[in-house]
Formats: sequence, structure tokens, C-alpha cells
Amino acid sequence: MNQVTRRSFLKNSGGAGIALWLGISTWDYTDKTSNIYESKNFTPYIIVDSDGSITIFNTKPEMGQGTFQSIPALIAEEFEVSFDQITIKQSNGEPAFGPNQRAGGSASIRTSYSDLRKVGASAREVFILAASTQWQVDASSCYAENGKVIHKPTNRSLTYGQLVVEASKLDLPKEPKLKDPKDFKILGKMASRPDVPLKTCGKAEFGIDVRLPNMLYASVERCPVIGGTLKSFDATDAVKIAGVEKVAGVERVIGKYHSVGVAVIANSYWTAVQARKKLKIEWDTASFETFNTPEYEDHLRALASQDGLLDKNIGSVDSLQLQPQNTIEAFYETPMEAHHPLETLNCVAQVSGDQVEIWVSTQVPSNVTGTGEFDLHKYIGVAPENIKMHTKFIGGGFGRRLYIDFIIEAVNIAKLTDKPVKLIWSREDATEQGPFRPMTFSQLKGGLSEDGKLLSFQHKVIGPSLMESRDGNFDKTKVDSAMVEGIGVQAYEFPNLKTSYVRADFHIPVASWRSVTSSTVAFPPECFLDELAYKAKKDPMDFRLELLSKPSDTKRVLLKLREMSHWDEPLPKGSGRGVAQWEFFAGLGGQVVEVTYRPDKSIKIDKVYAVIDLGEVVNPDNVVHQVQGAIVMALGAATKPCITFKNGKVEQHNFYDDLLVRMYEVPEIEVAILAEGGPVKGVGEPGLPPFAPALANAIFAATGKRIRKLPFDINNI
Amino acid sequence: MISLIVNQKPYQVEVDPNMPLLWVIRDVIGLTGTKYGCGVAQCGACTVHLNGEAVRSCVTRVSRASGQKIVTIEGLSENNNHPLQLTWQEIDVPQCGYCHSGQIMSAAVLLRENPNPTDKNIDEAMSGNICRCGTYLRIRKAIHMAAERQKTHTIL
Amino acid sequence: MKEQSEIKLHLLFPLKTMIVMAVVLLAISMTFAFRSRNNIMGNTKNDNAINTDSAESVKAFMQVYKVLMSPACMNCHPAGDAPLQGLDGHPHTMNVKRGKDGTGLYAAKCSNCHQPQNTPGSHTPPGSPDWQLPPENMKMIFQGRTPHQLALQLMNYNQNGHKNKEQLIAHARTTLVKKGWDLGEGRIQPPMSYSSFVIVWDEWIKKGGYAPGQ
Repeated sequence: MNQVTRRSFLKNSGGAGIALWLGISTWDYTDKTSNIYESKNFTPYIIVDSDGSITIFNTKPEMGQGTFQSIPALIAEEFEVSFDQITIKQSNGEPAFGPNQRAGGSASIRTSYSDLRKVGASAREVFILAASTQWQVDASSCYAENGKVIHKPTNRSLTYGQLVVEASKLDLPKEPKLKDPKDFKILGKMASRPDVPLKTCGKAEFGIDVRLPNMLYASVERCPVIGGTLKSFDATDAVKIAGVEKVAGVERVIGKYHSVGVAVIANSYWTAVQARKKLKIEWDTASFETFNTPEYEDHLRALASQDGLLDKNIGSVDSLQLQPQNTIEAFYETPMEAHHPLETLNCVAQVSGDQVEIWVSTQVPSNVTGTGEFDLHKYIGVAPENIKMHTKFIGGGFGRRLYIDFIIEAVNIAKLTDKPVKLIWSREDATEQGPFRPMTFSQLKGGLSEDGKLLSFQHKVIGPSLMESRDGNFDKTKVDSAMVEGIGVQAYEFPNLKTSYVRADFHIPVASWRSVTSSTVAFPPECFLDELAYKAKKDPMDFRLELLSKPSDTKRVLLKLREMSHWDEPLPKGSGRGVAQWEFFAGLGGQVVEVTYRPDKSIKIDKVYAVIDLGEVVNPDNVVHQVQGAIVMALGAATKPCITFKNGKVEQHNFYDDLLVRMYEVPEIEVAILAEGGPVKGVGEPGLPPFAPALANAIFAATGKRIRKLPFDINNI
Repeated sequence: MISLIVNQKPYQVEVDPNMPLLWVIRDVIGLTGTKYGCGVAQCGACTVHLNGEAVRSCVTRVSRASGQKIVTIEGLSENNNHPLQLTWQEIDVPQCGYCHSGQIMSAAVLLRENPNPTDKNIDEAMSGNICRCGTYLRIRKAIHMAAERQKTHTIL
Repeated sequence: MKEQSEIKLHLLFPLKTMIVMAVVLLAISMTFAFRSRNNIMGNTKNDNAINTDSAESVKAFMQVYKVLMSPACMNCHPAGDAPLQGLDGHPHTMNVKRGKDGTGLYAAKCSNCHQPQNTPGSHTPPGSPDWQLPPENMKMIFQGRTPHQLALQLMNYNQNGHKNKEQLIAHARTTLVKKGWDLGEGRIQPPMSYSSFVIVWDEWIKKGGYAPGQ
């Protein structure tokens, strides 16, 4: 099981002398794929060269969330090196770095915070020991700073480069001493991200930018009716186009869904796209062409009458005697969404015999090179040790790049030639094929006491299942925990609480979309709390705080929101405020939104106040950035057209009908960070779930109109 | 054979005159700073300067650009030091960074034509550039900062 | 014989003066009627008073009106600061604006996206070498105009881009106007063919360019 071995070993860095590749190895390969965030696998993160150059690795792909700075920061802080002294490299799924080379679930920092600090600290201690041994002084009389070890009494110093040969002979300490946070130079401070200058002059290499000698390009025509299969195709006209190399069927697998599309391989992407238009294809749409969103929504509404599967039952909801006039019921509907990372999906792959080499923007290098059940090797019939990959900067992940479907597709295309092939999905491909965030509908029931106290709260989620989409063997008699995420675990002291889930059959692949199910199931209960508050004739903030008599992080968040938004100061008529908070696997955040209702029936968002509760913070500037970005994404999901189906096909195609938020639509957003110690919480997603309910609650306060269905037109209330 | 002048360098490219300039720049010439985001002039990731104007290269035929002056993000400055590139770096404007070549190219036209842009001017100039990561507030701030800087430099 | 008496006309004025006065009065009265129907100032060519037919002219204009008020034309003749878009004439996305000379602003100028020709594919920008809105100082608004208002405006030299009748007739033959019938794959067509439109446009103008009643 957990094997703690202290290792340090020499690595010849080719020409520059001896390099020390450091790490504490705690191999835990009991691959619990159900929770990828438990691994305590410390792996070689630091290379020190005798010429003094220092390389630190980032194992969490950079997709804008800042790991390129924040992960090395954890190591650099303890290792006592500044960012000026280091080169940062991305890990490429190498087994030596362990099975958690993944960016997602807002987990990068919160699952590495102590472990990576220990990596840096143990390295620091080893270098101090090496220096003190050389000077024949006590190690406690030395300290490390800026890549040097200094002997305090005499002020003599040696650089890490000068010490590496000696240091490499020493054992790494098991439990290194971590720095006192008051001595932090990097952690907790605003810090520039080293990838930014690459991104302001076009030098940052994204997957789509990879260029290799003799590289070919591919574009794939996939069945527009999702679920359809390929019957036959005629490429006669397609291959006539100059530059077209080959046309063939290729398989793509996402979750339990297998599909075959027709790939055109050509000497340029544009040529491949032109040739693709000339394909004549016969699809078997297998009656999936009868699928239409309005009918499916009716189906979900009908399912609400079922009990479904129980998630939580606290107290005795069912046996409460409530006065009918003190109860309310409401139904909420949230839609399907596409991820739309601005860098469209792409992958370069080359197959040479039994070797596969891949260049790709992916959130999951570990799933590309890994040995698990759902890793790439299973789908392409290549041994994991024969898969080599190069992780690129990601032009947006948001959960879409947690999936390796397009990588499987690219490898299958590469198998058709011996040259490297770059597969690019067009924006239309992405919009029309998904996978998508599933829609979820929610039935809420609540009961109050005579004096307006919350007595009973019920939340039933109805909708397709993420787990079922992923794994055809998923046990449908059990609750899909992903679909009831957060709804039963808020800090509110509900005296009686019942949460449940009614699974709906669905044939469209569904996926995690930034903040996963919290992006849809936080909206109903946080709006419904307001509905109950108004019924009880109480201020919504007070109503929530009444349910938080004990100290809790949630209470701190709400109190901070109350203060920063000047909640208790009245607003002019026509303006209103709404509050919402949400706690889930990723972390905890809350928002207050302030709006004004204009004479033309449009809503102006005057300001958004956001609080994120972190425990510890690595780069506060980046946290603010992430929360603001999450809110912009939530604004789009709440107020812009969503994904709908007609005759089995997605009705939207590109940004002209699946609109995204633009510059002129973004309100002022103020972010406060609570970092008062305690378990480290995530940054990338917590800013998203509270926004839609806070906005809807604000609109109610300003207009008296209650919104229960997303998306809604913010220009016409 | 089509002649192009990109970032002050001449190129001769043998391509279909209808090929969008974007793919010529990226796949034929090899400058990948200009990005593909939508292919239909909706997102602005492909923005380059054609005789100084911020055209969407994904819908611009290479023939339109023949013999014209094209500047891509790589050629906007000598050393990643256009005032906008500097303020972009100073306040860490990008997140994933994919849209920012286009954002900066659009902002550069704005600042050239209006050295003192208001928020409204920024809305007018920049709403053709999508940022999925939602970095709009910082883009706005960085434009204001760069405008301020340019003012001080003129005075000096 | 000197016996035939000379009829002596006892006129108010000498005959010569009378004749001059009559001609002048006739001229004035003719001008006055023309102007009140057509509100044209400074238009001295092509009066063709003999060919005017207010009823026929107005009838033709009602056909013209249908075309000009269809999205294919009206979307670029908006009342506000932004072009309109689509069948439903919603404000053009991306917050684009007219700009002083109608060619847009900054990095959102019309020709930044709208190429000299239509871009292939659906939902791509239509194109024309001179794709733009009318400038701020000559907006040539169609949106919201009644037939009466639009006809008067179109015939008004100071509101129609300084066009006399000849130029108005020629205008319908310009690239940008013809563009309304050639906006690209999947886009709407004006309610009549281009050739039919030209017939009624010409007829309206040649028969006097009359405005329908209020």
C-alpha cells in the first residue's frame, strides 16, 4: 500500500553536469479512480543542474487557472528559490510524476498544498545539510535563500548548483519542516504568472499550434443526429480535391458511447474541410431523429411525480404536519450547455508501429498515459508504456478537456498513415456533437412554522445521469452522487431535509461543465430559500443566517457578503439585491448581485459582490481573476441561448446562435477572499454556482418577478 | 502564386486564392499566434491588421490581402513591448490566453484611433472579441492603463 | 372702309404687360403645385410634368415601400446607432455601431468582417466592396417610417444623400442596393425580385415621385 521510500538519485542532464532529481516517493497505485484527488504521490518535481539552473515541474496542465505559477510556487517557496531563478516545465504524463497529472475539480492546489510544500522543504533541508557538512558547521546555523545556502555567523554561501553533487548523495528527510506562513515570500502574495508574456505575443504553444515536419491535417464528418451510425459513404468527389490523402471511417468513444465518423486527411486543414463538404454519407439515425427538446422537457416534468432515489433524509419530512398555507412548492428548470473553450478541440497524433506519440491540450495527461480502465490505452489497443505525450497550454478547459474522446479519434486517424496528423474540430463540430452539460430540473417543496421559521425543505433533482453516460454498467438502482452534489450538504440547519434524484433516460453524451452539477442544482434551492423568505416576510439574508446558528464557513461568507454589499442600506425603487451561496466538492463561494430594472424592461446588473472561502491562498490576484471569470461564464449560462435539439440534431451551430457574453455585457465584480486557515479549498469553480440564483433573487427584489427557468432574456423581464 | 507582406517580410504562397488568410498565416507561413476560434467572424481570435485595420482573417480571402500590409500579433512590436502588451503583462490580463492575440490586435486599433478611450469606446471596439475565460474586466483596465501611459509619454 | 370700328380693349394694363403677367402667373402656379406634391427643392431637371400621374406613382411606391421596409434593405437603414440584423431586425450583435461616416468604429468597422464579397457558408458575413451604413449626417432612416414619410424623405435632396431624380433612378442600380437580393446562403430575399423592384422604383420616380397620403 503506502510505501514511503526516501530516494534521491542522479540524473545526467546531458552536458551540463550532474542534476539532482528530487522527490519523496509514496507510490500509491491502488488506483481509486472514483476519487482522483486522494493520491499522495510525491514525484520528481525538481531538477538542479551543477551549472545552477533549476527546473520545477507543473503536473497540472495550465488552462488559464494559473497552475503554471501556483503549483511551482508551492515548491519554490519551501525550496527557497525565486521565480527568476527557475524554469517551469509541464509534465507530460510520465508515470514518474504519478497518477494525478490532471487539472479539474478545482483540485490542483487543494490536493497538493502540503505535499508539494514538503517536496520543496525536503529539498531545501538536503541542500542545507550538504552545505553545513562541507563547512563542518551545524546545520541549524545555516539557512537557505534565493537558491543559496548561507552560514549565518560567517555569511559565507554556496549556491545550489555548487552543492548539488554533495546533496545528491544524501537521503531526503521524511518529515521536513515547513516554513512559517509569516515568512512566505511567494505564497499568499500577488504574483505575476510566467506564462502571461508568452500569451501576449503569440508565443504560447497551444495544442492547435503544434507543427511537425510532414504533418497532415484531418477533419471529421460525424452524424448530425447524435446516436446515429454510419451506413456508408462515397468519397469520390472529396478525394478529387488536390491535397486530400485519405478518407476513412474512424471511431470515437466518449463514456459509454461509441460512434464512427468519416475522416478526411489532407495536406492542410482548410483543404480537409473543403473535401469534407463533398462527402456523400448515409447515416442510420435509428429513430434518434425523433428527439426534440420540448418533448423531452415535458418528459422530465412528468418524471417529477416519481419518488426517485433517496439521497438524504434528515428529520421526518414525510410525517410533518404542515399548514398548507405555510407551504410552497416550485419547479425549476436549467438547460443543456456547451463548454466552448475558445481553442477548439484538437489533437496531433503519430502512430509508428506499436508506438504512439501525442501532442495535445488536455486536462488529463494521466488518462492519456495511464494504465486504468478508462485510460487511452484501452481504446486504442496500445500498451500504456508505448504512449508518449506532450502537454500543451490549454486554450480553455471548463471540463471539456477532461475527456479523451477526441484523442481516441485522433489516434484512430493517425493509424491510417505513418505521418503525424493534426485533427481539428470546427466550432460547429463542437456545438453540434457535445458532450454537453445535462439539463436538470428540480422540484422544491418547503414548509414554514407559524412564526416563519423554516421547518421542512425538499429538493428532488430530475434529469440525465453523468455517471450513466460515463459507464454503461452504472448501477441505476443507486443514486448518481454526481447529480445530487451539494444539495444535501449545505451548512444550513434544516430541521427536516429530504433530497432525492429521479434519473431520466438520455441518449446524448453528457459531461462535467465548470462546477459540474452545482452549475444547475444550486440555482433552485438558493432561489427557493428566497421564495420561502419572502413568504415568511423575512429578509433573505436574515432568513439564511437564522439557519446558521452555529459557526461555519458559510456563515462567515454570508456575513462578509452582508458587509461588503452594504446589504442593510436601502436601495432606490426599481433596484434590488439578491444573495446566494453554495458549498460543494470544489469549495465555497457566495455572491450578492445588485440590479436595476429599467423602463425598457431590461435589467442592468449594477454590481456583483463575490466572496470565496479558501483556507489558504497561493496567488490572490489569480483567485480574483478566476472568480470574475466564473461569474462571466455563469452570466452566459443564465441569460444566453442554450443547447436545444430538434429532430435529433442540435439546433445551435456557432457563436451566432449559441451566444457567449461579450465585453459590453460584463458588470463590475468585486471579489473578497477569505483565507483564515484550515483546509484548502478550490478556486476555479466556486465562483460559478451562486451567480444565477443571486441574480434571479436580485431581479425578484427589483421587479417582483420570479424566474424559475434558465436561460432567461435579461433584456426583457 | 500570391505575394504577401507579413510583419514586414515578403512571402510567396502557392494557395487557392479563396483560402482564408487565417490558414495561410497559420499553416502555410507558420505564424501560429493568430488563432482559430469560430471561422465565421464571431469571436475575433483571428484578428490581424490589414493595412492597419483589424480584419477577421478567418473570413478574409488571402487574395484580398495580396500585396497588402499584414501585421500579426508576432509583429505588433519588436520585443513584446507594445504599450498594450506591457499593461497586459503587468496586470496578468490573460487566463488561458487563447483569445488575447485577437484582443490585443483589436485594442491596438482602438488606441491608435482614440488615445483617450472611454468605457463606451472600449465596449464599441472590443465587443467583437470573445473571451470564454471572462477576462473582460482586466482587458478594460489594461486598455485604460496603456492609454494613460501613452499620455505621459507624449508629454515627456 | 374706315366704317369698321376698331375694337378697343379697355384693359387694366397694356396688352403686352397683361401677356407677360399671365405667363408669369401660370409659371408660378405650376411651380407651386409641383412643390406641394413633391417637396423637392432645387430640382429643376426632369420635371416631366406632362408624364406625372400621382395615382400611378403612389401605387408604384407602395410596392417600393414593401421592399425598402423588408429586413434586406431596412437592416442597413436603421433609426438608431447600430445596424439591424436578421429576419426579425434585432440590433446587430457584437455592439457594432454606425460611426461618423457609417463604416463602423475602431476594431469593429464594417469591412473588418464584411468582405468585398459574400463569405461562403451559412451565417457568415455577407459582403460588398462598399459595405456600410449611411453616415451620421445623412442617416437615410427607413426603420419606423410610414409610406408617406419615406417617400418624402427619399425625394428630399437634403435627406437622400443629395440625389436628384436621375441619381435616384441610378441608385437602384448600385452594387450595395443590389446586395439586398444577394445576401448569401440561407438569407431572406426582399418580397419581390430585383427586376420587379427596379420597374416600380423607376415608375414611382418617373411618374412624379409622389408620396402617399398621411
